[in-house]
Amino acid sequence: MSLAPGWHPVALSGSIDPGTSAGTHLAGREYVVWRDNSGLAHVWEDRCPHRGMKLSFGFVRGDHIACLYHGWQYDTAGRCRYIPAHPDLEVPATITVPVFATVEACGMIWTTTDADPDRAAPPPGDGETVPVASLHAACGTEGLLDAVRAMPAAPFVAGTAGWELSQVGGTLWRLTVGGDTLLLGVQRLGDQRSALHVAIEGSAAIYAGAGQAHWHAWIRALRHRLGAGPAVGARPAAAMAEAV
Amino acid sequence: MALVLYNYDLDENCYKVRLALSMLTIEHEIVAVNAFPGKEQETPPFLAMNPMGTLPILKDGDLTLFGAEAILAYLSRSQDGSGRWLPADGAGFALSMQWLLFAAGDLSVATRARANALFGTPGDEAALRAGARRAIGAMEDAMTVNGFAGQDWFAGPAPTIADVALFPAFVLSRDFGVDHDEYPALRKWARRFRALPGFLTMPGIPDYH
Repeated sequence: MSLAPGWHPVALSGSIDPGTSAGTHLAGREYVVWRDNSGLAHVWEDRCPHRGMKLSFGFVRGDHIACLYHGWQYDTAGRCRYIPAHPDLEVPATITVPVFATVEACGMIWTTTDADPDRAAPPPGDGETVPVASLHAACGTEGLLDAVRAMPAAPFVAGTAGWELSQVGGTLWRLTVGGDTLLLGVQRLGDQRSALHVAIEGSAAIYAGAGQAHWHAWIRALRHRLGAGPAVGARPAAAMAEAV
Repeated sequence: MALVLYNYDLDENCYKVRLALSMLTIEHEIVAVNAFPGKEQETPPFLAMNPMGTLPILKDGDLTLFGAEAILAYLSRSQDGSGRWLPADGAGFALSMQWLLFAAGDLSVATRARANALFGTPGDEAALRAGARRAIGAMEDAMTVNGFAGQDWFAGPAPTIADVALFPAFVLSRDFGVDHDEYPALRKWARRFRALPGFLTMPGIPDYH
């Protein structure tokens, strides 16, 4: 299973606090998303080269992430800088973790595995956004988008616009409903696993609180629809149980 | 005479009580029970205190209590002068009870999933894991919505024994194959919980985070 070229959302920006980490997947491969204490986000391969432990189980200290097993610390370039069992050792430069280009846009953290020369521009969007939540589903990204298309939605802010879903580019979609605009980041976790990262394109003054709760209810209804199965194609019962 | 907790260190229900005793700074004695492999809690002296043969059990003078959530309620009502760990107002009390009962009921599938994974107790592994995922997903939804309203805890603006009762199942969920990746609101809540005065870990919960 290979990853499509371009940028992929891996989390809502607000889901990763400074000094914390979380694991995720892209096309079946494991990644760690972490934010250093200065607030900068990083996406790496989720594997300590020492014993293969997931770095997402580790802990952040300043601008280093450390493995939970033996405390090996890596700097923001992915290079090992400190091995607690050998505190005086000048750590060889060959001990590194693969790191991937990471940007924040549209209220989400994005990464790409494309090499520098053929890397497309990251998703546009430096306007204000308000996070809602990320939905995880036991289906592919097309099934997820089909469910979105079939899902009725009412606006939080009334407006003249009807319902419209449009692809901004690659994995980013924009859903307009009445006076509301939602940004949808579609993440391919694996063959039959996907995530939808939902942020409101608008100001916190309008949407913080009740507006977020309004769209969270829509995500729950969408999840219910995905769990119900037939509307988006038959899936094994075990896979549906995972869709909670 | 001090409170006595009959305890097994690897039992997350015992851990709930150890957490509360520490966070509420309550003096106590601990009696270690050989639960695995000895099943000492299912022998007559223990069945006399709890006929269901589970831990924890708390003795306070003539009073004997079993069930972690009841013990948490007792500790907060009898030992917590501030009253904040089990609020007295209608909504605060009812929400605390709701999540305490959830911890003892719907979420207990997580305890069974973990026992199945760690100790090989009987059960359908896939069904147990799916059940635990559903209950933890309900917690994630609740804390996501609480977060929209600026509420950091399950039953109100301050931590209660409901948070204590819910914490172990989430933080130990990797033991039965449920990762924390999909639960950002619970990750943040667990991080806040870990920063509370008197917090302590149990085997399976890293000291570092």
